[in-house]
Amino acid sequence: MAKTNGARRAVVVGGVRTPFVKAFGDFVKLDTIALGVAATRGLLRATGLGHRDVEAIVWGGVILPGTAPNVGREIALDLGLDPSCEAMTVTRACASGLQAVTLAAAAIERGEADVMIAGGSDSTSNAEIKLPQKVVHALAPLALGKPTPADWLGVLGQLMPLSEILPQRPRIAERSTGEVMGEAAEKMARRNEIGREAQDAFAVRSHTRAAAAIEAGRFDAELVPVEAPGGRWVHADGLVRADTSAAKLARLRPVFAQDGTLTAGNSSALTDGGAAVLLMSEERARATGLRPLARFRSWAYAGVDPADQLLLGPALAMPKALDRAGLRLADVDLVDMHEAFAAQVLAIVKLLGSRAFARARLGRDEAVGEVDPARLNVHGGSLALGHPFGATGARMVTTMANELARTGKRTALLGICAAGGLGAAAVLERVDG
Amino acid sequence: MSDFLLELGKSPNARRLVKALGLPIPLPPVLGRDRTPWSARPLADRRIVVGATDGAELVAPLAETLAAAGANAYLEMPDALRAAFREPGESFGRPAQELAALGDKATCDALVLDATGIAAVAGLRAVYYFFHPRVARLARSGRVLVLGRTPDGLGSEAAAAQAALEGFVRSLAKEIGRTGATANLVLVAPGAGSRLGPVLRFLLSSKSSFVTAQPLQVTARARTLAEPPLARPLEKKTVLVTGAARGIGEATARLFAQEGAHVVCLDRPADDGPTSQLARALGGTPLSVDLSDEAAPGKIADALRALGGVDVVVHNAGITRDKTLARMSEAQWDGVLGVNLAAVVRTHAALEPLLRDNGRVVCLSSIAGLAGNVGQTAYGASKAGIVGFVRATAERLADRGITVNAVAPGFIETRLTAAIPVAIRQVARRLAALGQGGLPEDVGQALLFLATPGAQGITGRTLRVCGGAFVGA
Repeated sequence: MAKTNGARRAVVVGGVRTPFVKAFGDFVKLDTIALGVAATRGLLRATGLGHRDVEAIVWGGVILPGTAPNVGREIALDLGLDPSCEAMTVTRACASGLQAVTLAAAAIERGEADVMIAGGSDSTSNAEIKLPQKVVHALAPLALGKPTPADWLGVLGQLMPLSEILPQRPRIAERSTGEVMGEAAEKMARRNEIGREAQDAFAVRSHTRAAAAIEAGRFDAELVPVEAPGGRWVHADGLVRADTSAAKLARLRPVFAQDGTLTAGNSSALTDGGAAVLLMSEERARATGLRPLARFRSWAYAGVDPADQLLLGPALAMPKALDRAGLRLADVDLVDMHEAFAAQVLAIVKLLGSRAFARARLGRDEAVGEVDPARLNVHGGSLALGHPFGATGARMVTTMANELARTGKRTALLGICAAGGLGAAAVLERVDG
Repeated sequence: MSDFLLELGKSPNARRLVKALGLPIPLPPVLGRDRTPWSARPLADRRIVVGATDGAELVAPLAETLAAAGANAYLEMPDALRAAFREPGESFGRPAQELAALGDKATCDALVLDATGIAAVAGLRAVYYFFHPRVARLARSGRVLVLGRTPDGLGSEAAAAQAALEGFVRSLAKEIGRTGATANLVLVAPGAGSRLGPVLRFLLSSKSSFVTAQPLQVTARARTLAEPPLARPLEKKTVLVTGAARGIGEATARLFAQEGAHVVCLDRPADDGPTSQLARALGGTPLSVDLSDEAAPGKIADALRALGGVDVVVHNAGITRDKTLARMSEAQWDGVLGVNLAAVVRTHAALEPLLRDNGRVVCLSSIAGLAGNVGQTAYGASKAGIVGFVRATAERLADRGITVNAVAPGFIETRLTAAIPVAIRQVARRLAALGQGGLPEDVGQALLFLATPGAQGITGRTLRVCGGAFVGA
């Protein structure tokens, strides 16, 4: 695509991620900041950038540490980047990583900076156990000011019965509806008539493709080894199973509903990991001698009623991003969708191909288009690789940018569903030379 | 003021005891009431059994509305009509199912029959076949809805068959009322099918809990309107509610404000305190005016002009001075007709130029005006007068897209009815098919519905909110 007259272009010049590891596994002692540090350090090494070169960090995260929610800034400080490297942290649930990357692209294109790192990380293993608000409020007089014995007694009185003051286990449930993500996906499977077999087949495909990519060394340049506390190095993803099969997945029990279709096999697992992307203005990239891989032709975010179909967002965001890019689905060479659940991906694919949906929900006469299975998630997705919430978007941008540069294909469409009824999408296009 | 039997019936033990002892005490059902703001999916996850006969004309808007409103449809209809449910089901993730999928034991939340295709008396058998096996499976506070067509241009037999639906619905309403269920008939004029959706949403939802046993006509008479909003239907609208200080007026003002309206709360100077308090709470405007005063319309018009006009006027203010005719004084007669009818006519005349296009006028009539009541010759006359007023005014304003309707409450638990002697009050409550009095909010919900842009198909009508208390006729 021709460069618009004189406008600055932000380009993706590189990206890496840590291995993605099952929660409470090898990374249990690494919090989200440490994972972010590992990914960012790896990115600097891979691109040969110096500590003074990075002007800003935009980081995405979902489970933010209560004592240091600006993870991006903590990463910069822990890495010893120049103090002038400013940073922010954003959250848009599972689309946080993509949000961080698109924010950085926008900032560069507005002329705010020439070199930025954007990415995300999450450590499900380090989700904070939260005290109920009741305890917090009851303890306030003790924590603030000088408590008298009467205050102590008053507090004790307020803390009964015990069941109400026990620490609460973190849950991936919608605040507005109380619905757990898997229940929402189960509902979507039923309502969009996505069967167990199709889900299992899709999950197998995700594992097979991811395993093939690993086997072929496709991820080697994207993966940075991480040293876990105790000196053990983690070099490889922990969740991909090359030997899985439809028959094996068929044996698993439904987990979110008794007569349900969602199992541990066709749902993404709780994962620890981080991913980082380097974005630069095209001029600076070329001046530095770094090869631009891709740029964003468009992006779009959308919202739907979380009480209806929680994970429907991409079916609205993807057409919106395509429109902004001036493309049809059929024009796109690659489609990369975050696989929260096989059922959710298949439901979105079905709706994109539905003329009825296009008419009723998008106000257009023709379906968005059929998603060619050969172009969809060519190297697998979150089902096989895992899903450290904040990192997934940055992982997808990295893999697709590399895929475009490597294969010479032109465009890739990204789609991510997120809690709160949000959808995110972006169109990446290859940058030549 | 509280209904002792209704309270008693809330206790499962009391219900069991009454049943076990075979006591002839009617324990009225607790009605399902939706107090949340209007939303895109008022029928979320409701199980609705849908039937249709050959030649049914409203299957398409029915399918579209149910899926978009979040309902799960179970179908019993000819194959030719079934296809209409496929696309909406796919769009909204609500694929319609075969009736068998519901199972024999499962209850359903509503039974909807499109009977517009019935053109002969023999065809009425379809009504029996559809409802007979299922009416006992209707959930508490369930809904029965029959779709018919207006008599325009029908031959004698077709007209007879269609008119029969009304008697069916009125009687069925009385049979199912003891479970809190309602039954209504929607008569759709030719070319008005696109206006059916919002009416279905209201009548099938739990916002029409006390509306039962009646026909409601949907026509294409009032000038058409763009796609009506499903949520916050009164956003950026200015609404005048007279008699807003308490009771039905207050409940109505609150509901309107909840939908985004700027509510001008009008009541007489003696009620300035509660009126101002309400207006403040709702972010509206208080207006202290005595409607029996000849100068009142001018004052109201001035106030509304200052606000840039008005979109909805709810003529709610009313008084009762109950006396049998022989004992009624001239002053009582004049007072009732003056406030309940003359003031409405006068105020409307002053406000008509200020009403925006596609505006709404909703008046309060009463069951007393439709069915008559001992001691209410003046009141009944004033409230029947309202029926005539809305009919004629609706016709005149239809080309501006303005609809004019009335709501006729039955026994509603308010200050007015609390003044009725206790024994009569208990009897009055049990006269309703639903076996209880309604709440002010029930009337408010009906007024709100008629005030929304989606109610464009209803004009010149009187909607009863009486729980099926309309005896006979």
